Amino acid sequence: MNEYIGIGVAFVLAAGIAGAMVVLASTLGKKKPSPTKSEPFECGKSPFSLPGGKLAIKFYLTAILFILFDVELVFLYPWAVIYRTLGISGLVQMGVFLGILMVGYVYAWANGALEWK
Amino acid sequence: MNGANLNDLALLLPELMLVGTASVLILVPQRIQKLPLVAAATILAALAAALASVWIVSADPKIGFGGMITVDRYSQFFKVLIASALTLTSLLSVTARGPLGSQTHESSVRPAEYFALLLLASTGMMFAASALDLLTLYLALELMTLCSYILVGITVDRPKSNEAAIKYFLLGSFASALFLYGLALAYGATGTTDFATIASTLSDRGLANNKILLAAIGLLTAGLAFKIAAFPFHAWAPDAYHGASAPVAAFLAAASKAAGLAALGRVCLIAFVPEARVISAVLTGLAVLSILVGSILAVSQTDMKRLLAYSSIAHAGYALLGFICMTPEGAEATMTYAFLYVFMTLGAFGIVIALGQRGESLDGYQGFASQRPGAALLMLLFLLSLTGIPPTAGFTAKFLVIQSVLFAGYTWLAVLAVVCSVVTAFVYLRVAVIMYMKEPQVPAAPRFPPAVTAALAVAALVTVIGGVLPSIVTQWAVAP
Repeated sequence: MNEYIGIGVAFVLAAGIAGAMVVLASTLGKKKPSPTKSEPFECGKSPFSLPGGKLAIKFYLTAILFILFDVELVFLYPWAVIYRTLGISGLVQMGVFLGILMVGYVYAWANGALEWK
Repeated sequence: MNGANLNDLALLLPELMLVGTASVLILVPQRIQKLPLVAAATILAALAAALASVWIVSADPKIGFGGMITVDRYSQFFKVLIASALTLTSLLSVTARGPLGSQTHESSVRPAEYFALLLLASTGMMFAASALDLLTLYLALELMTLCSYILVGITVDRPKSNEAAIKYFLLGSFASALFLYGLALAYGATGTTDFATIASTLSDRGLANNKILLAAIGLLTAGLAFKIAAFPFHAWAPDAYHGASAPVAAFLAAASKAAGLAALGRVCLIAFVPEARVISAVLTGLAVLSILVGSILAVSQTDMKRLLAYSSIAHAGYALLGFICMTPEGAEATMTYAFLYVFMTLGAFGIVIALGQRGESLDGYQGFASQRPGAALLMLLFLLSLTGIPPTAGFTAKFLVIQSVLFAGYTWLAVLAVVCSVVTAFVYLRVAVIMYMKEPQVPAAPRFPPAVTAALAVAALVTVIGGVLPSIVTQWAVAP
């Protein structure tokens, strides 16, 4: 059972931090409600609309770029945990991985994927 | 925990070369993205990768990355083949109209992006030839097909190309999902994704009490059959080839088929070899249906790229004949088939590319022989080879696979293969009749671009050598 204590602590910490943020923001923060802020999800898209209209492709581009770095982190965490056992070859392999990822990032940047037009 | 060391990276030298070149190509400033320069860089990378894959292979196979990747004679054979297909496709892309601008005046395709995608697709194919684990194989095939989807749709200003890309993407994702589901079931049944361990579990327990593994075999084979466009997983091929620009269609027909066969060979001959009876029944079905459907549907085609697509479906069936025997000799026959088929189909596509818009429909070949006798003779050579008439490479290829099924005792299969060859003879020789016996309707085509001529010469050379001196190719084909 002992090995699950860490996971339990992680859950408690996550709930605590998230809860603290919500509580602090709602008690200490200034409140200037506006129609946009009152929407359930503040993502730039109208939450209620009939399907079939045109959808700006830039949302998908942003989502794809996010996944790029999300996946990178998924690999970086376990790699960091066993870094010492992997040694120099682990460093080189992660360098190759990050290098290929950076090529894609630079390409996306150079082609204006990060500009919100 | 000694998963990998730096020596493992050396095993990936050919792939690293392709990836490195692709990275450089998409990072260089746009003003130095001239088509011949970029094509030359791609060709150099492909040749270097071929040399590297020849160089890193020693007598006994090497295994790296914790059993995920192997470098053996089998992977070497396919890597050289894929590098050759990449080289020829790059040459065929260097036309005066731009790499893909056969329809429009101003091509919207950036050469560097096009060649980078070709390089990355080839990287995936090379990984597929080296994979020893279902997960590595899945990733490799995804890299290959994701690049192929974009290549098919890369001419964004042509609606037909977009349509083809969407169809290819939808069917392709479906096939990938099937493969992934099969992978999950195989893992659930055996607790591993490693080919050798799957094989040992299979021989321990057998399939009788293991219906999950049977489903896994079916799903994995279906996913791989899609990659080689075997019936009933062929529906994407005619549309994708038709909508894609001709060099992309040539690359799909040649290289991705070879990579799919490489993957299928390793899966069947290593992972599923204890259940040879089941897998060879599945493959027999795929092969027979592909040969029949591909041959018969090719008869009614009037579009050259669609005709070659149905021809490629039939050829996928013929290539599968070698795997049916589940013996090293059979696998070697299939390897030879894949090798020779790549060159003859690239040659036939090369003529289509060289003729531009005119080459896409069968009517465009009317009187071709009286206008350009040399080029028509080359086309005739490729058509005869696709039919399987001696002394061309196509005869050697078909002879070897039919011989292997005969030795394995499938006489009816051999008879069917020969009968269907006669049907396809009608398909291919019809083009020859149009070339030689019809009066020209359109003015003579302009001179072929030098790069295309070079590619045609190489393809013709291999097609002739494969027919006259087949041992040059067959001695390199070593089963996994």
